[in-house]
Amino acid sequence: MPKVVEQEQTTIHSSYLVDNPRFPFCKGCSHTTVLRKLNDALVALQIPPQDVALVTDIGCIGLADAQFKEIHTVHTTHGRSTGFATGIALADSVLAKGKLKTIVLIGDGGAMIGLQHLVHAATLNVDVTVLICNNFVYGMTGGQGSGLTPECFMTATTPDGNIVPPVDLCEILKHSNAPFVARVSALDPHLASTLERAVRFKGFAAVEILELCTEFAVSMNELTGKSLVEIAEKNNWKVGQLEESHERLTFAERFALSKETVLPSDKSSREASVKVTKKPGLRKPVSIMLAGSAGERVQSAATTLCQAAIRCGLQVTQKNDNPVTQGSGFSFSEMWLSPGPVGYTGIEHPDIVVVTSEDGLRELVNQRVFDRLGPTSTVYLDETLAPPADVRSICTVPFRKILGTAYAAIGALVLVAKLHRLIDDQTLADTLNVRLGEQVPLLLSKVQQLEVSLLHSPTP
Amino acid sequence: MPRPVEHTVRLRSGNQMMAEGAIQAGCKFFAGYPITPATDIFKTMVDELPAHGGLALSAPDEISAIAYCIGASMRGYKAMTATSGPGWALMIESVQYALMTESPLVVSLVQRLGPSTGGATQGAQGDVLLAEFCTSGGYTIPVLCPTNARECYELTILAFTWSELLRMPVILLSDKETGMTVESVNYSTLPMMTSQDRPTNFAFRTHGEYNKHQRWGTYYFDAGHEIPVFAPVGGEKKVTATGSAHDKQGRLQKNSPETIDVLLHLEDKLRWRANDLAVVKSDPQSSARTLVISYGITSRAAEDAVKDVRRKGEKVSFLSILSLFPVPVKKLTKALQGIERVIFAEENINGLYRSVLERYCNGRKVSGVNKIGSMITPQEILSVILKK
Repeated sequence: MPKVVEQEQTTIHSSYLVDNPRFPFCKGCSHTTVLRKLNDALVALQIPPQDVALVTDIGCIGLADAQFKEIHTVHTTHGRSTGFATGIALADSVLAKGKLKTIVLIGDGGAMIGLQHLVHAATLNVDVTVLICNNFVYGMTGGQGSGLTPECFMTATTPDGNIVPPVDLCEILKHSNAPFVARVSALDPHLASTLERAVRFKGFAAVEILELCTEFAVSMNELTGKSLVEIAEKNNWKVGQLEESHERLTFAERFALSKETVLPSDKSSREASVKVTKKPGLRKPVSIMLAGSAGERVQSAATTLCQAAIRCGLQVTQKNDNPVTQGSGFSFSEMWLSPGPVGYTGIEHPDIVVVTSEDGLRELVNQRVFDRLGPTSTVYLDETLAPPADVRSICTVPFRKILGTAYAAIGALVLVAKLHRLIDDQTLADTLNVRLGEQVPLLLSKVQQLEVSLLHSPTP
Repeated sequence: MPRPVEHTVRLRSGNQMMAEGAIQAGCKFFAGYPITPATDIFKTMVDELPAHGGLALSAPDEISAIAYCIGASMRGYKAMTATSGPGWALMIESVQYALMTESPLVVSLVQRLGPSTGGATQGAQGDVLLAEFCTSGGYTIPVLCPTNARECYELTILAFTWSELLRMPVILLSDKETGMTVESVNYSTLPMMTSQDRPTNFAFRTHGEYNKHQRWGTYYFDAGHEIPVFAPVGGEKKVTATGSAHDKQGRLQKNSPETIDVLLHLEDKLRWRANDLAVVKSDPQSSARTLVISYGITSRAAEDAVKDVRRKGEKVSFLSILSLFPVPVKKLTKALQGIERVIFAEENINGLYRSVLERYCNGRKVSGVNKIGSMITPQEILSVILKK
């Protein structure tokens, strides 16, 4: 029996505009022309409507969304249309691996507000086509000047003629690595084919369309259709195809490649997870302050102690502080080691204070820590530091001399953990082995050296 | 003696747990701009989201970041960004856009001392009203506020669920202390659920007009509290999205009756479910006449103060609020029963959240423990509780 072959009926899209469109624009406004030519471009391309997203900005051109049927339309806030379009295009190309064509309709006002978004869309090279409808004024709000208003132009805000020269938007985008840039008059007979090529282009495409705002720009400046190209020339704006490169990969393509070519590595910022089987040895919470200098691994020393603590079933909090510049000055960690959950994470009366450098000491003095010591507080000060007045229970220890600057902080904490029986030796050693590897035996022997010298030194 | 259960514990900051919660919730898109003290959320997403099939990238500024997120949400993906006060100020216009377009979105606001640049490395609780009252029209935006690293994870998953089910932006409000303090987190007891998804199933509308007339509209609903079925930009159903006041089809209208209905619906859809969204930790003490209320980082000090007060033999009740908005009226009212004096502790000058809850305190004596520049201590709260 002959096989019946079903023929797929391909829909021909004869128009993407609503039936009998009634454009809301003023008589003679070239926005009407632009939308008709955009429609012609879409008809030539025959993209399925569900694969088209038209993102419109604020202003007269922003009203374009209501003129189209079946395609997706997104009317956004002023200047941000390119930003929203970029988000849509990124999600479509990278996450959905889709084939959405995103088109932005934006005026000269929106383009200047959202210049950052235009530039970034160009540098990302997302598949977005931006049509900048430049009629030299803010039309909808009464014809005020914009960043693209030509010199000497009369506008509502430049009644004596504009004295601020406009920027060359196409040059800006060219220098932002935009692979497709064109400038064209709205009355150019080849506008539709320019728009077709721009939409078809895989990647970022920008077309600046020079337009006539009949209500304001034209009425105040004696403009005609021919004037558009003359204005461009007067401003040294080149007209035509200014850039077209098929060499640049889109963001999605580069992103996919970067995933393939980079060797998979554990870039995760996770601290090692710890399996806890022990019950905590501490009976009550202990607060520890560690103060030293940036670049001396103070905060990582605190992390190591906290890792050891959680290994033996304690709950911990660690608060770090340093100047905003991060690389210099003091480095400070406040820790709570507790058998139960920690509530308030601050330390009003520290049980143990460890100071390994002058920067650290200065910070503690600034924070008035030495005014807040309790009756059982103990302070461990590097021997190079001058003890603050009126503070009893200070142990001076040659942290820096014996351990060196890189290990003074961790060595000090290990010493303190042993002296105060915060954490058992095995857990300390296990944790140190994970974090410091080969250095551990030397470190532990130096700490023992300090421990011995402390036992023999006179107590204050 | 039974073998102790082997638990996995990690040292994590609130910021890191927020990012992990987002990934667990199914977030697939993160666009960010670094700002102290929120940057680690961004960094953790950049490091970990790709392995879960998502995209995390740098935006050149906060406005771009949130715009990219909303675009991705419109395309159908769970999206999030994170910032602090100065960045939030830039994002407010777009948050309103997400609200008006009924786009799910999660924004993490990690508070720092203000105003303006303020103190980047100093915590505060000064943005609670700025987070909520950021819309023209005063629409209620859900604001969730964790007190520790674990809650950062749990509430982030909840934030995604609400934002998806309600189709609206949800704010996660924390601060420098909650965000950047590292704590031991027991991973063996973390909830493993993902968040719910926005409604995309047309078939579930089984009643009335929809089935009869096959009506589709980007923002279509029958009763005002219903959530319009979501269709992605790029999908089969034509989407007509707009930040302008619109009818149920998404068409720009001035003030037609249907447009007003849509505007009312934006509030209605949340109000109708407000009681379900309430998350509090209530610790009443029978015959207590004083109630301490707090949220976020200050809740931890308040909880310690309450313990100390009770150890001294005095009675005091405690309410820690995790869902700041919509105000959990029912649970608040219950906590206020029998109470004569309410003490609000929060790290801002004017008692910002107190000013919102005061109207529910009905003649009770209300006082605040307020401070800026450092965390409120348990001692500071305790002395106010004990002061007669």
